[in-house]
Order: sequence, then structure tokens, then C-alpha cells
Amino acid sequence: MVTSSRTPLRTDRLRAVNEPQPVTVGFDESRQMTVGWPDGRTVGKIDAILESWRIDDEWWRQTIARNYMEVMLEGGKRMVLFQDLLTGQWFAQMP
Amino acid sequence: MSRSSTSSLATCVWIPLFPLRCEEARHEGLAACPTALLAPDTTRKLWQVSSLARHVGVKPGMTVSQAIGLCSTLRLIEPDPVHYDERFAYLLSALSEVSPVVEPGELGLIYVGADGLEGIYGAPAKIIEVIKRTLEGWNVGMSEAGSTVQHSNVPTFRLGFALGKFTAWVAASRAKPSEAIVVPAGEAQKFLAPQPIAVLPLDAGIHRRLRQLGVRTLGALAALPEAAVTAQFGEVGRRLWQLAAGRIADPVEGRVTPEPIVATLTFFTPVGERELLVHSVEQLIARALKHPRRIGWRVLAVRLRADLESSGGRGAACCAPTSRSWLANILLKDPTADGDRIAAPLRTRLEQSPPTGAVERLVLEFTAFAPGTTELQLFARDAQAAARAGQQRALRSAAREIRMRVKQSSLYHIVEVQPWSRLPERRYALIDYEP
Repeated sequence: MVTSSRTPLRTDRLRAVNEPQPVTVGFDESRQMTVGWPDGRTVGKIDAILESWRIDDEWWRQTIARNYMEVMLEGGKRMVLFQDLLTGQWFAQMP
Repeated sequence: MSRSSTSSLATCVWIPLFPLRCEEARHEGLAACPTALLAPDTTRKLWQVSSLARHVGVKPGMTVSQAIGLCSTLRLIEPDPVHYDERFAYLLSALSEVSPVVEPGELGLIYVGADGLEGIYGAPAKIIEVIKRTLEGWNVGMSEAGSTVQHSNVPTFRLGFALGKFTAWVAASRAKPSEAIVVPAGEAQKFLAPQPIAVLPLDAGIHRRLRQLGVRTLGALAALPEAAVTAQFGEVGRRLWQLAAGRIADPVEGRVTPEPIVATLTFFTPVGERELLVHSVEQLIARALKHPRRIGWRVLAVRLRADLESSGGRGAACCAPTSRSWLANILLKDPTADGDRIAAPLRTRLEQSPPTGAVERLVLEFTAFAPGTTELQLFARDAQAAARAGQQRALRSAAREIRMRVKQSSLYHIVEVQPWSRLPERRYALIDYEP
């Protein structure tokens, strides 16, 4: 983090950071859960689900309902995924 | 005023006889004749001796008359410590472009942290290549700064790459000129075993006792039980044993050097009187203490430089007139903001080892600081920010360079937007970085 320069914040120049990245979650032939990118590239097989939590927010505006899970992929890599409970689509995101 | 970062992988850059090499770089033909550099104190003994002079028996510590007696063609050089210091600072700065973690040792010895550099440059061999290119560029700069000497004639460096500073240093000391020795991870013990014990940082007494015990290599020392070595030589022995056995890998400790506070005084006519010099130093200290960046901080290290009046050299054996200077680096026992306490060690130095000629210009620098007392800190609202000025300047320069190269801003600040939000993407955002 850089300390504030006290310059007025110009919101038109803000760029989003840590936006959800669409992923695909499915099962392979051995019925193991796999994660992949939308272009077909595989991210990895899910070894374990370490934690899961749910976020329901902004019901007064446009409802957001997400089911998050922190998973461990084969090889030990950790990843945070969530499913948008309104559309059913899967995303990857930093916690 | 300073932060440090560390790196366990180390590249040791070693330029033996650095001051003498600096002189060879700025005096054409000097490398081809037996040369000796005089000590920068008033003892008028030899400090550094070229290999040609060594061949005829001239050694460091000899008096001028002893040396001339052995080699009538010996060329004596007056020391110019300010020049060596500047060249060394320039070398440090050049290497800082390669790695953010650079630790200076004595003149001519630098450790460059290599953690994470593989991601930028590639394998250790590639990192070594980059450092070599940097050193060659520095060589060329050095020749240009001084004279028309070709860079092939100027300092030959040796490089060592290993886990930990000690192994890297041993590797550098074993490398051939302009070459490098890379010690792969896990092979430090094997590499160190056949090395002589002289590579250890030990005093003459311990060295002699180890040789009397028949211990001549690091492997032989490491083969002894640690407890036995500790019993014989105490804590020092334990550390030596651990170094010899490759059990210690001291990390490279980078230092963010704060921008020094500088005060300068140029005399209308060169000054030789010690009292006048002492008075001038006190004036410079008072001036430097008033600097706004000093407020809230106590001074820890002081450097006093003096440019001396040029002369035609001393004695028949002296070579062409050289720039002469005098340098005193003082590390205060207790950090202080009191002018008298800062001046005291400088007064002593001026009395015990005064400049060897009349002084044309005095430069006083406060080079390291320690936080002041709580009361002082209360008045130091902007001191910390000002102390970071050096870093900010470097950052601005890097940002300008990137914008010049890629024609668009690709540097951003991370700013908090809704740090309390449960939705991760709402917490932070990027905004263009405009230094």
C-alpha cells in the first residue's frame, strides 16, 4: 500500500482490482472435480475443499448471493472459488 | 530513516586492491610499472602494492625509503580516499540497478542479494552475466571519469555465487579475474572443505594455533567436534566451525541509504592551520544540524571530506601530480544531536591524522541517523517523510523511465475504496501513479 498523497481521488480513473474471473467447474471421467478456464485450459483437479462460506448482500439494490469455497488443487495450490447462486456461474477470486 | 531487506542467495563482487586499481584506471601506463599507494595517514608507509612491486620484494607497511631501496623505479601514489569512496559509491549504485539488496563491505567488496532475481534474469549464470555487464559498464565509466585508459586495463573483478555471504566470498576469492564461481545449493560443504583456513575471518593468533594443531583446511576444521572447537576458542571458535562446516548462511542485508545531509565550505585560499580547520568543521556541523531533515533524528555517522591543494608529488619516485584528498568516516558511539559531541571525534582525527596538505574545500556529511527522543519526535512531523525523499526521487525517476519506454502509464497506486466490504472486489481499486 502506498500512503495517501492527499490528492483528490478521481473516481473516473479508478480501475477495478481483484475482479472475479470466470472459471468452469466440472467432473472428469474419474468423477473428480476439476477447475478450468473458459477457453478450455485446465487449472487443476480439486483435491480437497478446505473451507466454505456464503455471502448474501445488497438485497436492497441488486441481490448478490455467492457460495465461496477455498479449495486445494492437486500439487498443493490453493484457490478460492465461488458460485453465483443467481446465475449458477463459477468464478475464481482472491479472498 | 532506513529500512533493510535481506537475501539468502548472495553474489560476492570482489575487486582486490580497489584503491590501487582506481589509480591505475586514471593514470595511463601505471599498471605497467611497479606501483605503491601511500597510506592515507601521516605514517608515510605503503598501503597497497601492485603485483609488479611485490615481485621485487616491496610489501605493504614498508616505509618509503625501504621500498625505494628495493625498487628504484617504484612509482608512489598519494592516496585520494574521496575518489575511491566516490567510485565505490558509484559501483554500489550501478549494482543497485541489478538487485535491490546490495550490501557494501570494505572498499572493493560488495554482496549483491540474488533472491528472486532468477525470475527476472534466469539461472545463476544469467544473473552473473548481468552483474558482469554492469561491472564492465562501471569500468568504462571509471576510465572515462579519469583518463583515456582502456577499460581492459582497469579493475578486474572476481565473482562468487552461493547461499550465504561467506561461501559467496570464498567462491569470489577463488575465482579467476573477471570470472565467477557458482556454488550450487547443497554443495557448499563440498566446496568449502578443501579451502584453506585463511579464508575464515580469524585473527593471527587463532590462525597460528589452528595451524599448530594441524588444521589447514575448512574440511579439517569441520571434521573436529563442534564442542571441542568451542572449548578451545570460545564463541569465536564456534562461529568459525559453523562457517567451515557450511552451517551458517549469513544473508545479504540491503540497506536503504538515507539521503545524506551535506554542508560544504570552500576556502578562498587553501587552509593548513588545524585550529582554523576545527573551527570550520564546527561551523559546518552547526549548519548541518539546522537542516530540516535532521529534526527529530540524532546523528549516527559523519563523514568529513577535504579536497587538498594539488602538488607535484613528493620525492623523486612520485609519479605525475594527482588529485589529493583526505577522508574521515566517524561512527559515533552514541547517536547525538549535540554539535560538540559530533565535533569531538573529528577534532581528535584532525589532531592525530591531519590532512597531508592545505585544504581547499571541506565537505561534511551526516550519513546515518537514529530516531531521536520522544520529545524530539514530537517536533518531527515531516522528518520521516523528508528522510524518504531519496527513495521517492528514485521512484519518480523509475516511473518517468517506464513511461518513456512504454508510452503509457502502467504504474498504479492501490487505494482503499470500501475496505469494510464483504465483496473482495469492492475493497480496493487501482489508480494511475503520478509521482
